[in-house]
Amino acid sequence: MRVGDCSVLFVDDEIDFLETLLKRMRKRQVEVFGVESGEKALVFLERTSVDVVVLDVKMPGMDGIQTLREIKARYPMIEVIMLTGHASMEAAIEGMELGAFDYLMKPMHIDELLYKLEDACKRKEIQETKIALMNEKAPAPDER
Amino acid sequence: MPGESDPILGSFSRRLRINRWIDIAQGDIIYLRKAMQTNGPPPIFNVAMLRILKRLFSGNESRLKDAEILRAVFRDRYHHFKLLLNANNRALDHMAEIQDALRGSKAFGMDFVRSRCTAISTSVWRMIDNLNHLAPDKYAALNDRFKAIQNRINHFLQSKSAAKDVPFVVPLDRVDIGMKDTVGSKAAALGEIKNRLHLRVPRGFVVTAEAYRRFLEFNDLQGEIDRRIQAADKDRLDRLYDLSAGIRRLITRCPLPPDLEAAMDESFQALEKTEGRTITVAMRSSAIGEDSEGGSFAGQYGTELNVSRENIYRAYLDVLASKYTLHAMTYRLKRGLRDEDVPMCVLCMTMADASSSGVIYTRNPTDPQDRRIVITSVWGLPKAVVDGSSNPDLFLVSHQQPPKVEKKEIALKDHAYICFPEEGVCRLEMGPEKRGMPSITEDQAVDLARLAMLLEDYFGYPLDIEWAITHNAKPLILQCRPLHGAGKPMDKASGKISAASIDTVILSGGITASRGAASGPVFIVRKDADALRFPKGGILVAAHALPRYASLLGLAAAVVTEKGGITGHLANVAREFGVPALVGMTGILTAVVDGQRITVDADGCAVHDGVVQSLLEEVPSHTTPIDRGPVYLALADTARLIIPLNLVDPDAPSFLPEHCRTFHDITRFCHEKAVQEMFRFGKDHRFPERAGKQLVCRIPMQWWVLNLDDGFREEVPGRYVTLEQIVSVPMRALWEGISAFPWEGPPPVDAKGFISVMFEASRNTALVPGMPSRYGAKNYFMISRNYCSLNSRLGFHFSIVEALVSERDTENYISFQFKGGAADDKRRSRRTAFIGDILVEHDFQVDLKSDHLLARIADLEEKEMIRRLKILGYLTIHTRQLDMIMSKEEAVQYYRAKIAGDLERLLGPEK
Repeated sequence: MRVGDCSVLFVDDEIDFLETLLKRMRKRQVEVFGVESGEKALVFLERTSVDVVVLDVKMPGMDGIQTLREIKARYPMIEVIMLTGHASMEAAIEGMELGAFDYLMKPMHIDELLYKLEDACKRKEIQETKIALMNEKAPAPDER
Repeated sequence: MPGESDPILGSFSRRLRINRWIDIAQGDIIYLRKAMQTNGPPPIFNVAMLRILKRLFSGNESRLKDAEILRAVFRDRYHHFKLLLNANNRALDHMAEIQDALRGSKAFGMDFVRSRCTAISTSVWRMIDNLNHLAPDKYAALNDRFKAIQNRINHFLQSKSAAKDVPFVVPLDRVDIGMKDTVGSKAAALGEIKNRLHLRVPRGFVVTAEAYRRFLEFNDLQGEIDRRIQAADKDRLDRLYDLSAGIRRLITRCPLPPDLEAAMDESFQALEKTEGRTITVAMRSSAIGEDSEGGSFAGQYGTELNVSRENIYRAYLDVLASKYTLHAMTYRLKRGLRDEDVPMCVLCMTMADASSSGVIYTRNPTDPQDRRIVITSVWGLPKAVVDGSSNPDLFLVSHQQPPKVEKKEIALKDHAYICFPEEGVCRLEMGPEKRGMPSITEDQAVDLARLAMLLEDYFGYPLDIEWAITHNAKPLILQCRPLHGAGKPMDKASGKISAASIDTVILSGGITASRGAASGPVFIVRKDADALRFPKGGILVAAHALPRYASLLGLAAAVVTEKGGITGHLANVAREFGVPALVGMTGILTAVVDGQRITVDADGCAVHDGVVQSLLEEVPSHTTPIDRGPVYLALADTARLIIPLNLVDPDAPSFLPEHCRTFHDITRFCHEKAVQEMFRFGKDHRFPERAGKQLVCRIPMQWWVLNLDDGFREEVPGRYVTLEQIVSVPMRALWEGISAFPWEGPPPVDAKGFISVMFEASRNTALVPGMPSRYGAKNYFMISRNYCSLNSRLGFHFSIVEALVSERDTENYISFQFKGGAADDKRRSRRTAFIGDILVEHDFQVDLKSDHLLARIADLEEKEMIRRLKILGYLTIHTRQLDMIMSKEEAVQYYRAKIAGDLERLLGPEK
């Protein structure tokens, strides 16, 4: 699974950081979108489907953990990576327990992030294939 | 397909004989169920899907046997396995970083401690999570252990919160030395002098640590500050500079909480009332912990002079912001002080309109055996002394009663700082008549010396005192703190220049501000932007000894300035960090050019052209010591819960989740179990395409290959696989090393070696030919395209190579374990050491424990990793029975040379 085959939504209230990141991702052929708040992320996901969401943990308004909770409730197959400048063990583990794929800390190398995106996309693709196969190979008895 | 006698696989299947498929299906169901429990039924799980899950759970497994599903399930498992390996690698990398930091290889702050602890716990959590996917509910106890360890680590990461019930503002006449934790060291010392010693100190008040906390809380600042510090690349000076500027801007733009503003205004009015006139104030930082751990913050933080009533709030914020100047931040980093443990208190004192002022050191800071009192003095405010912008008058006064002026040097003081009537200070050019005049009389110098001795006696240690004289009154004390750098033994006479080096002198003169000698290329700092390009090991040359250059002292080999005195801030920090420094060296800016290599002899007050070895050899090269301050201790404490490895033997009955005492234990456990789970899966004969196959090769040993994912070029039917069918990058590299040279067979054994082997063999039936033993001669590869592990138990030696090699440099690693041998312990240990030496030569990190060797290398690019794997492949085969010859030195030499030669041929010329 190449990262170029999947779409990613970045959510970060630091506009400068967000824009730089989007630019660098586009240069690497990743299909990316960016919004600057948790609320906007949820609105965005209603219209557009993505494979991975990269979430800043500390944002004004709806914070990263709340947003993660909402995303996982509405779209359990989307993989969410937490990205933060604020290292906190509790927040990290809380995020992981809520189903985040990983918890990364700024500053981070762009390749590092790409690898994570790749892994997260692959995780999602595998999960979907498996479920699709089970669905198709085992029709329910009353459907016969 | 390996049979039941198979040494590694067999033991697993004996232990567990349950239906794999139910097991796997259950794993998925538990995963899906969990997802639904937490989130409610998601849209993707339709009713039909739920029915399927129910049927699977009730044991109808027949439909699951479909190869496509199996493949999907297998891919899923392998991906979990790979994620687990990545997390393991990441955790081990961070642990190595912590160990490095504890060894003192670099300065670090709490952000380092916090981010590494967070990164490690995230990785450990991911390992547990992925293992739980591979083996649902089997190792549930791991979660409890993880929580317990994490809680204990958290305890060390929390900052100490100081006592509450402290007012925002305290009048200075109610302050004493016991109040350090509320008013900061500087204010506490001045309060003590004012209220216990009854010496002259200006009136004032202190804005306390509680006010600082209130300010941060009101604006929700600490989190944002921590975030910015963590996110910055602290190895780059320009980034640090941006960081510092950003945080200061952030602070100064924040509003003051109304209750704090009111308290400050009230105190100011009360002060004005006591003085009986309209006043201005000096606002100085008084940070908590300033003089702890032997560090002197000497002017690290800001001072705002001559501030009028309406501007005290702005000035207050400026002083708070000075906590984040570049030099204050680097200073804390070097001293290991926790950012949040350094609350800023601010001392407001009625501005003293000084006619002359200066600094007293109660002894010579550059030569502790010289007990004379050093007084520097200038016209106007002491700013000119502290910031090193002007050469002050210097008085050396004997440390005796009555004190006597032994030496004075009157400098040409071309400017002075004085107060504007309403607010602010200005730099005034001195007229020719006052320029060369002494700024204080000898009598005043004697008075000051008396004061200095009194204070030194009272506090019991050498002091650094800032004073001012207002229009011929008695001196006022403005500041008093421990003198740093005093009291270190001196081991050689100062001021000598070796005869051999005299003709290399470019310039001599100046004053020794910090002792020692160093050489390096000249780097002239003319403006702040120059400082950002300062090279490591450069000689800092500048016009003034400005306090902000202190941030360069971690990089500079030595400092030479045209202006400045030994009582300035830069001189203080230079002494503290052991960087040789000469100040007041007139002409240095024109005597040297950028990039010119010079030797600074601070003791001899001379600058030499080139590298003068004889001078350098006399002085041990300085290192910047990392203080074992609070940050260091926090890391050391957390490291005890992270790094030690207690679970070493996977065969021991104590190898259980319950016995994991550190994060390292958990990673070790998860890794071991994950490998076993992967073996178990591939072992199942109902999934033949994933079963082990024997490798067709010329080497007369059995090699089995288990393909985990994409390790084969194509589907391989039957029992055998050829090398051509294998595309695993690390396996092919290992194999190249294994097969490069024919094995010479066991080396000729000396008599003692033979007896030693016989003795061990009689104790260990595995060594007796014909006896069934789990130490058979079989080797197992587990592979994918980028992964390979090789377990070999050859004769009585046991080794495991594990490698992940791909274009992702940062995930690449190789680990190698080696154990056992038939000879006695001593020979075995010698052989392990022998192998260890070879690995160290090839950049492996090697850990030796008697006859057990652990080696690791990580993060190199693919090409380099492949080289290392070839070496391991070679060593796995060719060092097999070397312990038998380990007592014969010439035999050891022979093999060492042979191995070196073989490896050279194997690897070809480097790069």
